[in-house]
Amino acid sequence: MQYTLLITGSPYQSKACHTALRFMQAALKRYPDCIKGVFFYEDAVLIGNKLNQPPRDEIHLTKAWQNIAKKYDISLYLCIAAAVRRGIISEDESRRYELNQHSLAEQFQLEGLGTLVELMNTTNKIIQFR
Amino acid sequence: MKNTLIHLNSSPYSSLSCKEGLDLALVLATFEQAVDLCLSGAALSILGTNQSPEVEQGKNLHKLLEGLEFYDIENIFIQESHLNSNTEHTWQGTQALNETEWNQMFSNYQQVFRF
Repeated sequence: MQYTLLITGSPYQSKACHTALRFMQAALKRYPDCIKGVFFYEDAVLIGNKLNQPPRDEIHLTKAWQNIAKKYDISLYLCIAAAVRRGIISEDESRRYELNQHSLAEQFQLEGLGTLVELMNTTNKIIQFR
Repeated sequence: MKNTLIHLNSSPYSSLSCKEGLDLALVLATFEQAVDLCLSGAALSILGTNQSPEVEQGKNLHKLLEGLEFYDIENIFIQESHLNSNTEHTWQGTQALNETEWNQMFSNYQQVFRF
């Protein structure tokens, strides 16, 4: 069985990103191929900001997601429209918007909602964390 | 193909949730996926016809409702008990369900997303 995770809760206003991470860790430990991809939507896209600097005695959630994605080779998608409106800008998008900066963290990629639809249709279940 | 229910429960004016939920519904429909909507709680205010928000208050999401049928989104469910008696100023394109039907509805879909 393969899952897609849809995360919509803000990393600062909810525990959606934390809970999803714990689910991922537990699921992948048992079944290393059970997660096909993770799609961040709404305020959850803020997880992909490479500039965020949490206090040193707190979890660095962005890094935690990067590490698990790297370890298990899992794609982390941010909805491009939701991300760009919140200032999460890839190098490509920064050129398109004629900006000098970009803020997208490594391991994350900007994709349209069509990618979520494709994930829905190619995995058994989709689980929303909000 | 999976059938999907998008459940809107947030106020259209207090966050982007309602808008981003509707965006997902429109994208699913564009990709020819079966999608229905249901509204509850503060999201019901989207049905009011007499709203004209200023730019800083957000987009007038009510205007999207008339266009849903062009995306083949034809089922927009609400609870019978939440029917607004002010029919003159309420969009009439919804289907009202009694409590049993409303509770049963969620089991009719393979996927339910809440916004």
